[in-house]
Amino acid sequence: MFIKVRRDTLIILMLAFILITSGRLMSYMSYASSNGTENGVAISGVIVKGNDIVPTESIKTNIANVGFRSGSYIQGDTLITSKRKVPLNEALENARQAAMLSTLPGTTVAPIKAVDVKLDKNTGILTVNVVEDFSTVQVNQTSG
Amino acid sequence: MNRNKLQKILVLLVTLALLINTSAATCNIVIITDPTGKDPNGAAAGSMSFATNMFQSTFIMSKENHFAVLSGGEGNSTPRLAAIVETIKRLNNGATASEAASAASSYSGIRVMTGGPTIGAAVGGSFDAYVVTVDNNGTITATPVSGGLATLPAGQKGAIIHLRNTHGNPQYGTAETVRQETAVMIGKMIRDGYPSTEILGAAMEKVAKESGEKYGGGGDNLVSSLTTGDMFTPSKMNTTGYPMDEEYSKECPTCGWSVAYPAAENYQTCPYDGTALKTIYAYDALADKLTVTSNSTLVSVYGTDAAGVYETTEELVDYSVKKNGYNSTAIATTINNAINNGNLVGVNYVEPKDINVVESTRAVGVYYKALPEGRTSPSWELPISSSVLDIVGSIQTAIGLILIILVLFRSSLINSFLKRRR
Repeated sequence: MFIKVRRDTLIILMLAFILITSGRLMSYMSYASSNGTENGVAISGVIVKGNDIVPTESIKTNIANVGFRSGSYIQGDTLITSKRKVPLNEALENARQAAMLSTLPGTTVAPIKAVDVKLDKNTGILTVNVVEDFSTVQVNQTSG
Repeated sequence: MNRNKLQKILVLLVTLALLINTSAATCNIVIITDPTGKDPNGAAAGSMSFATNMFQSTFIMSKENHFAVLSGGEGNSTPRLAAIVETIKRLNNGATASEAASAASSYSGIRVMTGGPTIGAAVGGSFDAYVVTVDNNGTITATPVSGGLATLPAGQKGAIIHLRNTHGNPQYGTAETVRQETAVMIGKMIRDGYPSTEILGAAMEKVAKESGEKYGGGGDNLVSSLTTGDMFTPSKMNTTGYPMDEEYSKECPTCGWSVAYPAAENYQTCPYDGTALKTIYAYDALADKLTVTSNSTLVSVYGTDAAGVYETTEELVDYSVKKNGYNSTAIATTINNAINNGNLVGVNYVEPKDINVVESTRAVGVYYKALPEGRTSPSWELPISSSVLDIVGSIQTAIGLILIILVLFRSSLINSFLKRRR
């Protein structure tokens, strides 16, 4: 051997190694067994109901753009997204407005006339109820 | 001499006709194989074009009222939108297909095709189409129609196909023959009892290959309310969609593993069992997506938008249904096993009450609870509380680190200790 190590030094080092490893393992176990809600409830999904012709995907994309997307979470009465913090009632109103603006893909026709947005604060699921009405749709005659 | 002149005039006339008919050059198809609306694959519709901007607005489908509104993606968009909206308005008020499609005639140069399993089909405005009808005794009639209004009456098996070439298409001028041949092929396939969705796939293959009007677009199954959605549509304004006659993905025929193009170019055999992969063309993918088979299950996933969860759940539910039938407890067990194995990540365990099974329509809905903050597996059930574990773990780590420091300075520490005692 090039390095001379006394046997009791080795034993102490071994003990230290075991202590550190088991300590780290316990910290991980404590992380894994906690339910992780202390940092708020994550937005886990958006359920869209009532749409007939407008594809669900278009509405979901618009809702995601105003903050209700994966990665955002609710803390108390605030919605925290990757970009900013918004009061929850304001965020829900934004979501309602955004759903109204959903169009037929590739066009400017927006047939959604009424939207109801509900958020379950325990599960983080947002339910969007929409009503389509084609009889009042205005096609903008000036834009080509 | 006289004949020569006549030919020249004919050529001139054809050229003129082609130049006039340049607006809204697209392929629109409506096929009805079961006018009673009972067959889940009884009616289909689809659009594609050589031109750009074939978004979902060119093959709009109503999920509740079971109708489709087809149009072209190009042309002056304001009157086109107005015509589409007017058509939908009329159909929502219970109009027949021909009443609705006649809305297009009030806008010049616009074509709207519409149809549904029980309302028949119709095309109105500016078009070059064939109306195919198939009687119960097997007689096929294909009638060429252009402009005005053409109808496939309600309760009649048949199809309408509109096809025009777009300017700049290298296969310009083929529309006339391809339209006729495809109409005849559709008629024969309806007579032979193929489902409408498969006929739509075959018709799109023929049109894409032979007339070059090949970019998606997409299609709808009007009875089961399935749509190809944005599978083949362009991703940006003023671009074309997916070519319907090209390879779309490769699939393993034994285990079902598949990979999409362009990544699929690197795979020749299945990475799991080594069998040669089967190439799926876009028209096959369209027919597969729209066709409801007797053993397929319609899976809906709620509560999470995480990537891959829907696909994995679909496979799991399929497997469980094949093995144990429509049993929510069995499906929940299968899903929970997959979560334990790490096949399904990012969601919490499900209970039988989170699974909504409707056996009559072969539909299964799974309501997930997503895990917070990018966790992949559900939390462990340990007898000791997590805060106690956290504290004990930290103390142990600290003691370990102190021990290492003590060992490093061992000799000097012992020396100073001994000196002090002396």
